[in-house]
Amino acid sequence: MAWSPAIAAFVTAVAWFGVFILAHIFGWRAGHGNAPWLLTTYLASLVATLASVVGLAAWTSSGFLLPIVLALMTSACLFVLYVPAVYTVLTSLSVQTLVMLRRRGGALSATELYERFASRAILDERLATLAASGYLIADGERFRLTLRGRGLARAFAFVKASWKLGPGG
Amino acid sequence: MKAICLASAMTIVLLLSVTIAFRFDPRKQRVRQGTTLYLACLVVLIAVWATTPDDLGFLPPWVLATPSWFDLMLSLFFFTAAFFGGVLQLYNLADRGFSLRILIDAFEQPSGAVGAEQLLAGYGGGQGVKWMYDKRIHGLLEGDLVRRMEDRFVLTPQGIGVADMFIHIRRFLKLDRS
Repeated sequence: MAWSPAIAAFVTAVAWFGVFILAHIFGWRAGHGNAPWLLTTYLASLVATLASVVGLAAWTSSGFLLPIVLALMTSACLFVLYVPAVYTVLTSLSVQTLVMLRRRGGALSATELYERFASRAILDERLATLAASGYLIADGERFRLTLRGRGLARAFAFVKASWKLGPGG
Repeated sequence: MKAICLASAMTIVLLLSVTIAFRFDPRKQRVRQGTTLYLACLVVLIAVWATTPDDLGFLPPWVLATPSWFDLMLSLFFFTAAFFGGVLQLYNLADRGFSLRILIDAFEQPSGAVGAEQLLAGYGGGQGVKWMYDKRIHGLLEGDLVRRMEDRFVLTPQGIGVADMFIHIRRFLKLDRS
């Protein structure tokens, strides 16, 4: 039994997303920078998804609009579920705390943990990452918001205010 | 396309519900509060999907996904992704995002700039970086991943399992090579 255009588009998007995850992980292991490699491999998988869906639609003489929209939506949904998992592994301080505790025999003094994770060094590290990502720019000892950083800060300040989240962070 | 229309509409309803709940009835466990609203909206989404025509009264036939059960599945998938990858992530970033809070701190300065020394005491709108880490530790204690024993933090069996999982993932991804 042949798949309907909708199922074919969904399966195609899932399959190419699987290829993206493999490429992303193996590139990561090979030492590629995370964010640029993540975007490059994802965009490549998106192009491949679109090409496959258009090819399938042409071959089966079905309409183009529905399969293209469904494939794009499916791929985008999988991406927004995948990215937070990646950044949890990469940047979560809670995860790093658990890993550090485990590697140091399962127990550490509060002083040791706070010296590592509530220190000037962790701020320097994060400020450098934000500068490398184009959200801040070094200005002597300080870091100034770029246009991109200002836009992001404004958007999230709005979300925090709308949801009354307090200082957060 | 019915799936996309209904999931999009329900995502807007969910965002409004979460905004109203967080503003007017904030709970200590906001993630749980948001998840409850998501589940309620999920039930409504299924009910709306089941009681509306396939073309919603305006969709042309060439944009209707078949078979019908697959359209419902797509609808649930899109809506679930919108919650776990969208609304919940937005909350996590706004409430727990370390980097984002640094950007907001800079944004709140008249000069639009911050320094590490200034953030040590002024991070989080004047709370300080120790407060930021207190929140993480509090989360680990609440999740029963660590236990406090006098001045030491000790991994619980559950914490050991989670730590081992992340150590394996980090080792596989060669994240700790340097």
